[in-house]
Amino acid sequence: MRLKKPIVSTGGALALVVLAACGGGSGDDGANAPEETFVEGGAAGEAIDPNREAPAPEIEGAKAGGTATVLSVNGLTTMDPTEAYYTNTGSILSSLVTRSLTQYVYDEEQKGMVLIPDIATDTGTSNDDYTEWTFTIRDGVKFEDGTPVTAEDVAYGIKRSMDRDTFPGGAAYSNDYFLDGDKYKGPYKSGENYKGVVVKGNKLTIKMERPFADMPYWGAFPAIGPIPKDSDPADYALHPMATGPYKFADYEPGESLTLVQNDQWDPATDPGRHQYIEQYDMKFTELSKQIDSTILADTGEGQTTLTFDNILSADYQKAKQEAGDRLVLGSSPCTYMWTPDYRTVPLKVRQAAAYAYPYQDVWTAAGEIIGVTRVPGTAILPPGIPGREDYNPLEVEPGQHDPEKSKALLKEAGFEPGEYELKFLFATDDPASVAGKDQLVTGLEAGGFKATPVASTVNEIPTLRADPNYRKINVRSWGWCSDWPSGGSWFQPLFGTGGSNNYSQLSEPAVDKEIKRIGTLPLDEQPAAWAALDQEIMTKYFPGPNTGYVGTAMLHGSKIAGMNNDDVFGMPTWKDMYITE
Amino acid sequence: MTVTDLQTLSSGDPDADPSDVDSDKAIAGKSPTRIALQRLRSDKVAVISASIIFFFVLLALFAPLIAKAWGVQPEGASASEFVLNGLPKIGPPLHGFIWSHPFGVDPNTGNDLFARWLYGARLSLGIALTTTILTTIIGITIGLLAGFSRGWLDRVLSFFIDFFLAFPFLLGALAITPMINRKFADDPDKLVWAQIGALIFVLTILGWMPMARLIRGQVLGLREREFVQSAEVIGVPTRQILFKELLPNMTAPIIIAVSLALPAFVAAEAGLSFLGIGITGAPSWGQTISDASNYYDTYPLYLWPSVLGVAILVLTLNLLGDSIRDAFDPKTRR
Repeated sequence: MRLKKPIVSTGGALALVVLAACGGGSGDDGANAPEETFVEGGAAGEAIDPNREAPAPEIEGAKAGGTATVLSVNGLTTMDPTEAYYTNTGSILSSLVTRSLTQYVYDEEQKGMVLIPDIATDTGTSNDDYTEWTFTIRDGVKFEDGTPVTAEDVAYGIKRSMDRDTFPGGAAYSNDYFLDGDKYKGPYKSGENYKGVVVKGNKLTIKMERPFADMPYWGAFPAIGPIPKDSDPADYALHPMATGPYKFADYEPGESLTLVQNDQWDPATDPGRHQYIEQYDMKFTELSKQIDSTILADTGEGQTTLTFDNILSADYQKAKQEAGDRLVLGSSPCTYMWTPDYRTVPLKVRQAAAYAYPYQDVWTAAGEIIGVTRVPGTAILPPGIPGREDYNPLEVEPGQHDPEKSKALLKEAGFEPGEYELKFLFATDDPASVAGKDQLVTGLEAGGFKATPVASTVNEIPTLRADPNYRKINVRSWGWCSDWPSGGSWFQPLFGTGGSNNYSQLSEPAVDKEIKRIGTLPLDEQPAAWAALDQEIMTKYFPGPNTGYVGTAMLHGSKIAGMNNDDVFGMPTWKDMYITE
Repeated sequence: MTVTDLQTLSSGDPDADPSDVDSDKAIAGKSPTRIALQRLRSDKVAVISASIIFFFVLLALFAPLIAKAWGVQPEGASASEFVLNGLPKIGPPLHGFIWSHPFGVDPNTGNDLFARWLYGARLSLGIALTTTILTTIIGITIGLLAGFSRGWLDRVLSFFIDFFLAFPFLLGALAITPMINRKFADDPDKLVWAQIGALIFVLTILGWMPMARLIRGQVLGLREREFVQSAEVIGVPTRQILFKELLPNMTAPIIIAVSLALPAFVAAEAGLSFLGIGITGAPSWGQTISDASNYYDTYPLYLWPSVLGVAILVLTLNLLGDSIRDAFDPKTRR
């Protein structure tokens, strides 16, 4: 999943240039300890409720009516459901406007998201090896113009999701897993005859090229939902046909979006959504400082205003004192890592790098709020992923560093201080990157390394970093966000031999074998198995230090209620929001 | 004959006020420059402005020494030692004033802001001064050539002056600076110098025209005067006429133009750095103001020293420029 900023990225890797992530305040008296404000995502409990009944239970105290104003720095990229692949567009569409096969709802007890059915009556049934999934489409669902939604419309949406030429920015899971995914190019190019999707009455069957256990999660993407057949891609992106509780009233791409209630939406067919708020006024390309000031002042329209952008670190302490109850904290399903080249850098040196990395310095210099927008950790899987467990392969607390230990490990590996050289990229055109680089160099040198920053630019770093044969650097800084809360989308691309985003260049037959084995396990056994593999990789092979998870800190006005953090997107829980008197 | 000589003559002019002759003051020949300096010395605003500017210049010149004496550095601080969650751990705004960091510390990197302010003054004055010198040299040369050469050369040069004047400054700066900087983007050591060079280049290229126009106008007037014409008649080489006859007669307008250009360049440098197309790799006031603008309410001390630095420097330079103009203008009698 891509972050809110529309940055070029491949395969879900964070394109954010993050240099930094390490190190703690050495020799500090504990004043540096991260604040315990970070709210863990739904790591416990059931992540899927396959038979949740419609309608969604009323929220206690919720009132209907009112207009909510939404402010954000970044304009929306395309709002075509098939191509929406950023956290902001995906979250707004699937929570408010378009319905899909499945959906996520916020669970108060788990403080996290649960996958439940949406336009299908359950979260899908599959054959034994997950190569065929069947969904039953509900009766009574209508488009905003009153046309009933049929299984054919869903099938058309799925076929549309196979078109990588018309929708290059969309997620490619349909092509990766569905039958003939590499040959069928969507209804515009290849016609509507596609044998991967079979419709019988209200039953929809999807056939796979290879096992796809995570189909119910992919089914929650706006792309896997009903789309009317006569849709023209260019027009449809400006006004996607609403099936959810809100529809587009006015949309200026990049500037504003007004959503009004959709009277064709029937709560009796929807187990997850509510329709309390009368209208959403979303305004984009606002300035961060102004967004913070408007909501913090909490007067007039500011009381019914919210943002899904993170608060500026400059305003964080003020907000915590004056409006602590209006600051929604939570996690995004993202992890940053700083991995030395597995092929050339020995294990002891990789471990030494983890002790030398000045986590706190780098985060602070880059403007992160430690414990809130950047959360120390050691496991590869971020909070919010079912089955995930915290463990610590290092001898210091996560987010703390220890230059002496680093030097000792280097000595064991046979290197004198200043002898082993770590080379890494930074972006001269990003002040946060430059500031982080300075801290990183200081920290690594204190830990006995020779640090060589290699200058580059924000645009070039993703390309250079992805090239395994780029020898000017031997450490790569990268991040990864999951598209759904399951370990399935993490280990093969990141640590499998030949993985699409294997920046660490880790290649171990044992790991490959285990990844393959877990993929064939029953769904309910997978989370624990992924978590065990996570721990094994980080203890036995240690590709490099985790440089923090991504957290959210979103402000809202005093009259906005029901706003929590959706830890699948790192966005507000739109479905439950209402405005108080 | 230059104006200086004329002035000397006119001092002994028969129709001078006879009472002067009787006074205690001996009649002395004074050049316009001397008269102007005398007037300046008695102008309180000018004296105060000049002393403030002199103070800034001292700070800028000795920035490294002052920072060292104070025990602060503009970079290299350990961020987490000084900063927690977007605000400094020591000094304002959460704690009281401390002498070790009189301007506080940067709420991201933890660098000392006093040291950065000193280095910022150095950069600001350095760039403004260099640019002023360059624009003056270019402006004078082109103005002299255009004004003195009749015909096609004048028309070509005037066209260039008008062309550059018509060029939108901000747009030009926004377009040119990144092009230069990009070339050096992968070499951080050269990048700072490239940025400084690019900034000076842009300010010079888009800032020499007023001086050239002014000089051209002056030359057009002086060219018809007898002393120039007689020099031409007796065959004085053109270069000598330009630099020996014409130029000294334009000292006053040049000094005035320079004194008013300097503050404009200080402001322009800060403005471009604020927009992110100036200096990013070295401490600069504009950059600090840009960084600190998000902190105007939570950490005002971060913002104000640089704002006041730019404001006071520009104000005093302008006031001094005004005073110089008044002092040199023979029509002003105070």
